[in-house]
Amino acid sequence: MDGTYDEIISDNPFFVELKAEYASLFQHCITQSWVICVPRIGSLTTRVFTVEDFCAHLLVPSDELPETHYSTLTEKQVTVTNKVITLEVTKGLPLQSHILFEETFYTEDFIKYKVWCIETPLEPTANFSDNTISKEYLTSINDCIDLLWTQAAGRQVLDQIEHSVKVFLKKNTALPVAVGPLRDTVSELYTQCLQIALQNRRLRDKSKSCKQVLENIKLAVECYMQHLLFEALFKPICTCCAYEDSHLNKKIRNMCDIQLRDLDIKKELYHAVPKAKQILSKIDTCNTVLEKVLCLKQALNAINKKDDSNNVVLLTADDLLPVFVFLVIKSGLPNWYSQLMYMKEFRFSGVGKGDGDESAFLITTLEAVIEHIQSGALAGPPDPESYYYESNLTEENVNGKERRNSLTESISTSDTNSKEETLEYIFELIKANHCEQVQAILLRNQKHIQTIQQNENNILKITFENNLTDDDDDDDSDTEIYHKLCHPLCNCKKCCCKISKNLLKTSPTVTSRDSHGLTALHVACIHGKATIVEYLTEMGAEVNATDLNECTPLHYAASRGHQNALLLLLHSGANINQANIDQNTPLHMAVNNGHLNCVKALIYFAEHSRRKIRINCVNESGNTPLHLASKWGYEGIAKLLIENGAEPSLQNRSNKTAFDYAHNLKILQVLKSCTPNLYEYIHITSSNVKTLNCKTDSAASLHLQKMSMKLNDSNNQVSKAVENLKLIDRILKAISYGDVKLACFYMNINYSAYLEIKDKPDTFKQNSQCHPLCECQVCKETKQCSSDFDINFSDTNGFTAFHYAARYGLDEMCKILILNKAKINCVNKKGQTPLHLAALNNKTHVIRLLLESGANINAIDLAGNTPLHDVCAMGNIGAAKILMNYNPDLTMLNGGDKTALTLAKEKVHLTIIDLIDKYTNRLE
Amino acid sequence: MSTAASGTHNFKVVLLGEGCVGKTSLLLRYIEDKFNDKHLTTLQATFLNKRLNINGKRVNLSIWDTAGQEKFHALGPIYYRNSNGAILVYDITDEDSFGKVKNWVKELRKMLGSDIVLTIAGNKIDLEHERTVPLEEAESYAAMVGAQHFYTSAKLNQGVEELFLDLTRTMIERHEQNAQADTNRTSQVLVVDDEAPPAQTSCCSGNRSN
Repeated sequence: MDGTYDEIISDNPFFVELKAEYASLFQHCITQSWVICVPRIGSLTTRVFTVEDFCAHLLVPSDELPETHYSTLTEKQVTVTNKVITLEVTKGLPLQSHILFEETFYTEDFIKYKVWCIETPLEPTANFSDNTISKEYLTSINDCIDLLWTQAAGRQVLDQIEHSVKVFLKKNTALPVAVGPLRDTVSELYTQCLQIALQNRRLRDKSKSCKQVLENIKLAVECYMQHLLFEALFKPICTCCAYEDSHLNKKIRNMCDIQLRDLDIKKELYHAVPKAKQILSKIDTCNTVLEKVLCLKQALNAINKKDDSNNVVLLTADDLLPVFVFLVIKSGLPNWYSQLMYMKEFRFSGVGKGDGDESAFLITTLEAVIEHIQSGALAGPPDPESYYYESNLTEENVNGKERRNSLTESISTSDTNSKEETLEYIFELIKANHCEQVQAILLRNQKHIQTIQQNENNILKITFENNLTDDDDDDDSDTEIYHKLCHPLCNCKKCCCKISKNLLKTSPTVTSRDSHGLTALHVACIHGKATIVEYLTEMGAEVNATDLNECTPLHYAASRGHQNALLLLLHSGANINQANIDQNTPLHMAVNNGHLNCVKALIYFAEHSRRKIRINCVNESGNTPLHLASKWGYEGIAKLLIENGAEPSLQNRSNKTAFDYAHNLKILQVLKSCTPNLYEYIHITSSNVKTLNCKTDSAASLHLQKMSMKLNDSNNQVSKAVENLKLIDRILKAISYGDVKLACFYMNINYSAYLEIKDKPDTFKQNSQCHPLCECQVCKETKQCSSDFDINFSDTNGFTAFHYAARYGLDEMCKILILNKAKINCVNKKGQTPLHLAALNNKTHVIRLLLESGANINAIDLAGNTPLHDVCAMGNIGAAKILMNYNPDLTMLNGGDKTALTLAKEKVHLTIIDLIDKYTNRLE
Repeated sequence: MSTAASGTHNFKVVLLGEGCVGKTSLLLRYIEDKFNDKHLTTLQATFLNKRLNINGKRVNLSIWDTAGQEKFHALGPIYYRNSNGAILVYDITDEDSFGKVKNWVKELRKMLGSDIVLTIAGNKIDLEHERTVPLEEAESYAAMVGAQHFYTSAKLNQGVEELFLDLTRTMIERHEQNAQADTNRTSQVLVVDDEAPPAQTSCCSGNRSN
């Protein structure tokens, strides 16, 4: 885009005349490989060229420094540095001229010569015109506006473009959300804008005189248009790329602690990274493709290497790509894919130039980088503990591998099974999932430690209390070491050595930490080894142990997306709201890295165990989990958070809400759907519920549940009505998920007691107690399944739990509700009974259960429909069959004076018509 | 492909080859010839523009250097799509690098058909005494796949300019042939049964220029 001045040299009058009129000079020049300088078109005032003019523009390379020093045929010295020709003049300042480009000519007889197109003539006296537009490089939107303004001598072109953009936006209030059509519509607008620009006489004349001017005008028009259009245009692009972006973000988030050395980046380049990163992160603030590409270029150019004499050393693509990958990962931009799409697809002015120009190269490089990250070819960051080893290794190399003399080393190497005794080795085992080995080592070490402590105590006892003489001290803790000593109390050198060695032995246990504060449990969680996590917690590993960054194992499990490990930790009492050094909770970590499964696990566990997860808690930069989900475009997670009470209007430290971070329409929609539509809830898979369920049964969590229940009871009395409304919402939600157990829990119904009753069919049917005060086993159990919560409580639309259970076809739930004396014919605000809802949704089991339990088959809702009407209108064959068995009244008319049969005929549900016919025949 | 209205050919050329075979040196040697490399920015070592005028035909070469390391191999298609020419560089002292070239040739032919002009360059002939890739093998292979073969030394500046010049000439030829075929095709489109896939691809590429 910039620096691409172009003109056809062979059409340049100066060059034409040189070739035609001074052929012999020209021939001589090319055979001698002299450089011909051609002043760019329009820079020489039109006059007759003289021999001197030409001679002044023929450069003869000097013998010593042919690259940089030349003399003209008029005997003037010329130096060339950095594409600038400097001509020594006898008086005054030296004359300078830019080399716009070099063109290498090959003649038919393979003679090669070079022509430099230069900005201004190499003549001190030349007075050149002020037509400097042709060399102008456009680098920003301001340049573009300047160009259109000054060259058209007024605002009118800008105004017209602005107007047509406005018209365009009005016409296309909803831009297509697909890149292809979007591009086409915008391309049309571009053509229109360009036409406007070229209708201007001044611009047209100028662009005719010089090709470069036309190119610049095109570019300027494109930029100005994009500048005006950006706000409206970029959101749809982001929406198109929402899927790619969120996936890329997940990939990037999960390797955000990647280091320069992980990418094999040369050490010499490290220094340039911060600057390049700073430049690249500004790409977001650029509105036009031109500026974005320029930003890429600047960032790449900032990555440089200097040799000893401070010269820039060139870098190959192999060096450059990894740095660029690193920059993209670290830039923290949430929509790289959209940025790429924008640059790739909305660069209209560059189309004619082919696909090979510099901008295309830059964009392709970005694409390659994104592709590289996306492909997963990057192994991601190595495990945190490996930094430690690595640094050791380099240290070793530096010190000439003479680290072996250190005290601990010598001790551990003298030990035969030293390898097994290092913490690193255990970490390796955990990584490789060798559960038994880890178990064995840790058990042995623990015993060992215990014996040492015991012996120490004994020794102390012995030394300080000499009169104490009981010898049964090491009955249970008898250890090899003390048997090997000359005498249990021997003090000889040999024995001391043995004892001290034993004490010094670095024997890691579950509580040992490495230099980063990581325990074995941390490592197991990092690698997601659930069995080892389980074992370690049983061994008494500290669940809330924090490392240097104050991260608990739960943080690691959440950030790496290991759901199993996470659940195990939660059940072992890990603190769900623990914040690390950046005030990030495990929820933050899971959301940030896009692990939907972990987010679900955290939220539902908290819900089950009545622990309060702080869904709106903020980290150090004031971000709630919802901020992060919105920023990285995780639609599913954002939905889940919203459903669980995340507040999108909270501001972070930079006064941004989640709405501000939403960069595509999909996320924005999710955020706006704060009043959730029940049908759109994501259903948790049953396996998720199971994993949650099976663990809540552990004694500790049951205890916790009871505690929180008690707490809740006392709270309930304060504002029962409000609480109940909230509760019913939760209950209905749980039912809509199909989570019977959770619903029961909310309603204070003892689910397990119900299950027991269910197993004894005779007791199930027995609805009444033997006696109001009867204390027999059966009555007790029945009592237990009932609750103090008003089971017929409804939400604002009149829906009770029973309605929902029927709607979602949970016959088990219905049974429980019936058992708890829920009103079977209760109506919602539309007058629908649970039977209506079951019929509408074709829940055959529930229909049968309801009818058996005495539901009114001819109940009418506010529209006058019986369940049979609903069934016929919906065409639910299964439901129709069952209803027919319970003698429905076929003659009933609904609000539209229609019988069920008329409805079925209207909708042409042939099977149902058939069923009704058969039924009427049977009646007759 | 990519001819602007002025009659200037815009050709995209990719440099492919294993790391350390001297792709970048070759490129720099070709360009550096003129401008002092001290003033090249970082970017200019991976992307270079060169204007040529061969018998009055203006050519604007955009030469793209690519990453040679194995881990970046998968990114190849992103770089070489829409290119008019490819220079496949190997190190004459390294048999593996020649094997890589063969892989690239296969891949390019598969992805781009006969549209792309291939040139194979055996680099580092200043290390002739350490040669492991036999001269005949390389040349016969190049002939077999329809590629030009050149011996180059970026260090001694041998064969570099010839390589690029020849490539450019071939690309011009190919382009003119395609343009010819294009016009022939459009005039005979009702007569000739459209079954030759190469002609089809050239048709597409011809259209892309505007």
